[in-house]
Amino acid sequence: MSRKELLVGALSRKRASFSKGWYKFSRNPLSVVGLIVLFSVILAAVIAPYITPYPEHAGAFTNFRESSLSPSLTHFFGTDTVGRDIFTRVIFGYRFSLVLAVVVLGLSTPPGVILGLIAGYYQRRRIEIAIMRITDIFLAVPPLVLALAITVMLSPNLFNQMMAISLMWWPWYCRLVYSITRSLRHEYFVREAELTGASKAHILLREILPNCIAPILTKITLDMGFVITVGASLSFIGLGVQPPRPGLGTMVADGAKRLPAEWWMAIFPALAIVIVILAFNLVGDGLRDMFAVEEV
Amino acid sequence: MTVEGLRKFFFTKQGTVRAVDNISFSVKRGEICGLVGESGSGKTTVAHTLVGIYEPTGGRVFFKGQSISRVFSQRAKSLKKDIRIVFQDPGSSLNPRRSIKQILELPLKVHRISSNSDRMERVKELLRMVELPPEDYMYKYPQAIGGGEKQMVAIARALASNPSFVVLDEPTSALDVSVQAKIINLLMQLRQSLNLTYLFITHDLSLMRNIASRVVIMYLGKISEVAPTVEFFQNPFHPYTKMLLSSIPAVSDEEENLKPKEVILRGEIPSPVNVPPGCSFHLRCPQKMDICSRVDPTIVEVTKGHSVRCHLFSDRREPT
Amino acid sequence: MAQLLEIKNLHVGFRTFEGELKVLNGVDMVIGEGEKVGLVGETGCGKTTTVKSVLRVLPTPPARITGGEIFYRGKDILKMKPGEIRSLRRGEMSAIFQDPLAALNPVFTVGHQLRDVIKYSSRARHGKHLSKKEIRDRSIAVLKETGMPDSERILSNYPVQLSGGMRQRVCISEALSAAARLLMADEPTTNLDVTIQAQILRRLNELVAKRRPSILLISHSLGVVRNLTERVYIMYAGNIVEVARTKDLFADPSHPYTKALLKTVPKLTGEGISQGIPGRIPNYLNPPEGCRFHPRCGHAMPICKKERPALFILGDSHKVACFLYRR
Repeated sequence: MSRKELLVGALSRKRASFSKGWYKFSRNPLSVVGLIVLFSVILAAVIAPYITPYPEHAGAFTNFRESSLSPSLTHFFGTDTVGRDIFTRVIFGYRFSLVLAVVVLGLSTPPGVILGLIAGYYQRRRIEIAIMRITDIFLAVPPLVLALAITVMLSPNLFNQMMAISLMWWPWYCRLVYSITRSLRHEYFVREAELTGASKAHILLREILPNCIAPILTKITLDMGFVITVGASLSFIGLGVQPPRPGLGTMVADGAKRLPAEWWMAIFPALAIVIVILAFNLVGDGLRDMFAVEEV
Repeated sequence: MTVEGLRKFFFTKQGTVRAVDNISFSVKRGEICGLVGESGSGKTTVAHTLVGIYEPTGGRVFFKGQSISRVFSQRAKSLKKDIRIVFQDPGSSLNPRRSIKQILELPLKVHRISSNSDRMERVKELLRMVELPPEDYMYKYPQAIGGGEKQMVAIARALASNPSFVVLDEPTSALDVSVQAKIINLLMQLRQSLNLTYLFITHDLSLMRNIASRVVIMYLGKISEVAPTVEFFQNPFHPYTKMLLSSIPAVSDEEENLKPKEVILRGEIPSPVNVPPGCSFHLRCPQKMDICSRVDPTIVEVTKGHSVRCHLFSDRREPT
Repeated sequence: MAQLLEIKNLHVGFRTFEGELKVLNGVDMVIGEGEKVGLVGETGCGKTTTVKSVLRVLPTPPARITGGEIFYRGKDILKMKPGEIRSLRRGEMSAIFQDPLAALNPVFTVGHQLRDVIKYSSRARHGKHLSKKEIRDRSIAVLKETGMPDSERILSNYPVQLSGGMRQRVCISEALSAAARLLMADEPTTNLDVTIQAQILRRLNELVAKRRPSILLISHSLGVVRNLTERVYIMYAGNIVEVARTKDLFADPSHPYTKALLKTVPKLTGEGISQGIPGRIPNYLNPPEGCRFHPRCGHAMPICKKERPALFILGDSHKVACFLYRR
């Protein structure tokens, strides 16, 4: 077979498995809704400057004549105490939240997965014990406290916030992959690979890891929501995105002081957080269905 | 392949599991040796030890004259190529996340059997050898094919490295009879054309009758009888063997007549943690004598090639 | 004999991504009172689907009963309300499945599970409430009947503590307590050792003789069915292809599939292994037109590809679904 034929064959197979995956995903209409919402949010965040009515409000801007306005056609979500359009700031705020989620999970997942694979495979040896005890230590510290401590030690900004949250996130992936690896370790197909003489790297990465991808991906989607919540919590207490930049948590904190009279300052950012977390969760559910392995 | 005094014990909190307790037998080149036993007999442990999944607790294993009583991680690569195994459960012996092409390529890659470009051809060849059209099957995943086909892939995988000795651990027990027939025929053909030697493990005596040249019966970790096939079925010695033979569901009156008559079926197999003293079968044996609960019999060769481990026969000939 | 169970032209399909799997294609079966009937077929032919349809435990989102009727003592099960069916399942019909460990709840003792079955079944059947002692006595009695050693002690054991044979005996006890009239055993001994299998089958024979429920024994092993049944149905790809009295079936198998199946069983006589049946079981998405066996049949005629054969009468209680035997 020529290279071109091989490529065409591979592509058509990928397309076939994709459409089958979509079928399973779309069995649950809520997941599709979640997916649509998620796409919209991401799209909005990416092209924020082009779709928001007042892009300059997402920074140092004051206009006291237009401050504390309730929601209207010119300001969908109203304005805050210094006159900035809340709708615009929410969309820009999404940017920070999403970047946070992506970076944190991108940083914490690979080390967690690799450590989990190693710990789960080499049983009854010092490596396993060492890795899992370290994991236990990290898991024992209340997460928010840990992130707090780290952020306070360094200066409070988005970057440090990301580092802090990453540090407390990797153990979960380590545990997840550890338990899957342990259960698969004695399956016949792993034995077979060992007996054939495959390298440990192959066994871990090519035999065991593909069986973990599904739960890992599902967990990542659900975690995105959690990370955003944690980020918002940290921002709420002032340890996240610093003013004048729009962080959703910071906005809720500022707006909370104005409840219940000027409710829009807190409610809309809070709603924005809820919507994006909900969307992630629904997509996570759909992914879990999509990955379910069926037998003939 | 020769096994001498092989022992494999597992040390657990509940006690020592004497899975394999002093087994000795040998398999000649080109023969099909049948290893028969029910659950707890230790047959799977023997298979796994021969292949190197376990290290023997005692005794030795010889292959082509060399001692190989080591775990696979300590075995030479050439040995890993030469001795292969087909596992019992087709569902778990193939990685559900790898395509058949990838599964078959692995042994080729590890042992550098063909160069990159030839590998594809070799995979196709292997599939054709087990009568699975390559175009249809190469890119499928294990979930998409049936149990019989999965086993054929497992067989193709075992043969990928050109072995000389293949251990087949109940390869057809989970399959229907018609699929079993196909696979057995395939295995017989392949043995001829590739000059293989098989250790065929099963609990199905009717199957053994038709394919094995010699039969070894195991009970609770010990060998209870060994004989060439025809002799074995015409003239079984051990009471356990007679019990096994009489439990076979027969399909015709002819077959019924071949089974031992008047055999009382009794009891269950004791746990290998709690092996009864003396002869491990005595609690169920209809011909039990006083000595059976005290002393464990040794194997005795009663007629040529036909040995038994039973006090009923220990007065004949010298122990082997 | 009155007809206990009558399945008429049952069609069942499963909805999947690729389309509808037309599994059962017009199954006809009759079981009389106190009769011992066998159903033989290979994996995927639809035997378990049939059992589940009778008990109405098919998962009905993917599965759909697309046609036919199932009459139990004259009433159509498919039209019954959930309450009626539940009382049927409690008092009159029950099933034993292949894997006893999966069928028993691991966190309850054997005694507890048996107690539940006996309690609900006696309530459903006679409206009686039994005392604790009566239930316990009955549990021990029914376990003893299945040949369980040490029945009293077993009551306080958990399923994982028992061997496979013992677990299956527990399942049989449960089924016997619940099934006054119809006991369906779906491959009850396939996972067990051969000597245990023989013992359990013998017991089942005795029990059925004593208590007289009808029994439907399902297996892919012809030998197992031969010793326990009076009549046998042979099933292939969702159709009944042959039915006869057991003796007649083994003496004079008529359908090409039955003959081929008998040939592939390895025999003690040492005749060697036959070639197996060419081809594979059909794809239920696109099953063959006409007789579903025709692609693999050595005697296929043009009509076989177009029409589905009905069950032609060969002799006394002997019917074959094959155009070779049409009069």
